[in-house]
Amino acid sequence: MFETFTQLSTILAETGSNMPAITPKAAAALAVGLAALAAGYAERGIGSAAVGAIAEDPDLFGTGLILTVLPETLVILALVVVFVVPTPF
Amino acid sequence: MSASGPANYEYVVARIRHRRAGLFGDDEYRKLLRMGTGEIARFMEDSTYKDAVDSLASRHRGMDLVEYALNEGLAAEFDALLSWSEGRLYDQLAKYLRKFDAWNVKTVFRGLYSHADTDAVRADLVDAGEFDAAFLDELLSADSVETVVDALSGTIFDTYLEPAFADYEAEDSLVPLENAVDRAYYENLNPSQPATAAQDSPEALYAEFLTAEIDFRNARNALRLARSGVSVDPAAYFIEGGTLFEASEMTTLVERQSDLVSRIQDSTYGDELSTALTALEESDSLIGFEHALDRALLSYSDHLSYVYPTSVCPVLAYVLAKEREVDNIRAIARGREAGMSEDEIQAELVML
Repeated sequence: MFETFTQLSTILAETGSNMPAITPKAAAALAVGLAALAAGYAERGIGSAAVGAIAEDPDLFGTGLILTVLPETLVILALVVVFVVPTPF
Repeated sequence: MSASGPANYEYVVARIRHRRAGLFGDDEYRKLLRMGTGEIARFMEDSTYKDAVDSLASRHRGMDLVEYALNEGLAAEFDALLSWSEGRLYDQLAKYLRKFDAWNVKTVFRGLYSHADTDAVRADLVDAGEFDAAFLDELLSADSVETVVDALSGTIFDTYLEPAFADYEAEDSLVPLENAVDRAYYENLNPSQPATAAQDSPEALYAEFLTAEIDFRNARNALRLARSGVSVDPAAYFIEGGTLFEASEMTTLVERQSDLVSRIQDSTYGDELSTALTALEESDSLIGFEHALDRALLSYSDHLSYVYPTSVCPVLAYVLAKEREVDNIRAIARGREAGMSEDEIQAELVML
């Protein structure tokens, strides 16, 4: 593990001293990933509640679906960040 | 349907909230009040009791049909609850539903004591607890109280029943046995929470709900004793685990009813119970107070289930509400059969 870190830091040091370890675009990509993870966690609870409600009354399918995908907006907002962040090169 | 893995509160709570909304309300009860037992059975066929009524309709009629269908509907409902639950929720719910085991054991004792015939006792058993139908039949086939006590060895009631059985033989009264069953049930729920648990941890919420139920039961027992004026030791009826009373102070509280009432008034349940206490003061009837107590417990459990939506509280509140519905329908059907007037029956119902 420790060796890998040393190797990684050597590579990063070699790629150029004026370049950051994580470029702005890479940071934005990370942000999207984290947001998607959070959305997934939120949908887990809502989804299981929605399935419970649909099992009792199939008419609730539409409502359940909408509520389940609502946290997906988190990912869309995070996606905007990718375009807002400037490309440095 | 297993006790391992994380609890699925969201799924179960969503389902029971839907079922809760489908329970009979004021309108349905008002309709039922004007029906005969046959019509009540037909009305139940259009509700959640459809399966139970359908499967029993060919064998039973009238009041029997209503009674059997109610018990079977209740058992099916709670079996379904258990089959949805997972993890800690399953664990807590299964422990709570042992109350039907306690009920069944008490019914068997009473049946033996009063020499009722087996079919009549079977009709009153609710197959919703841990004991399966085969074990219940084994209990039913017992010919003496002692055989039942023996058959129950190895269950949670074991250690409580043995000393009580000696009392039963000495006094020839069922009270010590019934009391032992109740105490075995409540003390096995083990509501005492670990001191480290956070206020809204699953254990703490479960404990809060059960503490309320135990307190209400203690309050009811205390008032009954205070009313009846029988000279029995109130501490023997005391159920550990509540916060409202201590076992040591029961004797003095029961002797002076006004102290008892003011004690309940000043407790944390004062707000919920204020209507119950007014009812007690106004009508001076214990039945009115007990119904008000039931109503207060229902509304307190609802309150808990809205404050902590993803916890065991809404599920337990639903169990209480469902039981209440079954009791109400039974009261209506029995009342109609006995020819009581609508007002008299209405007074027996517990509605929110």
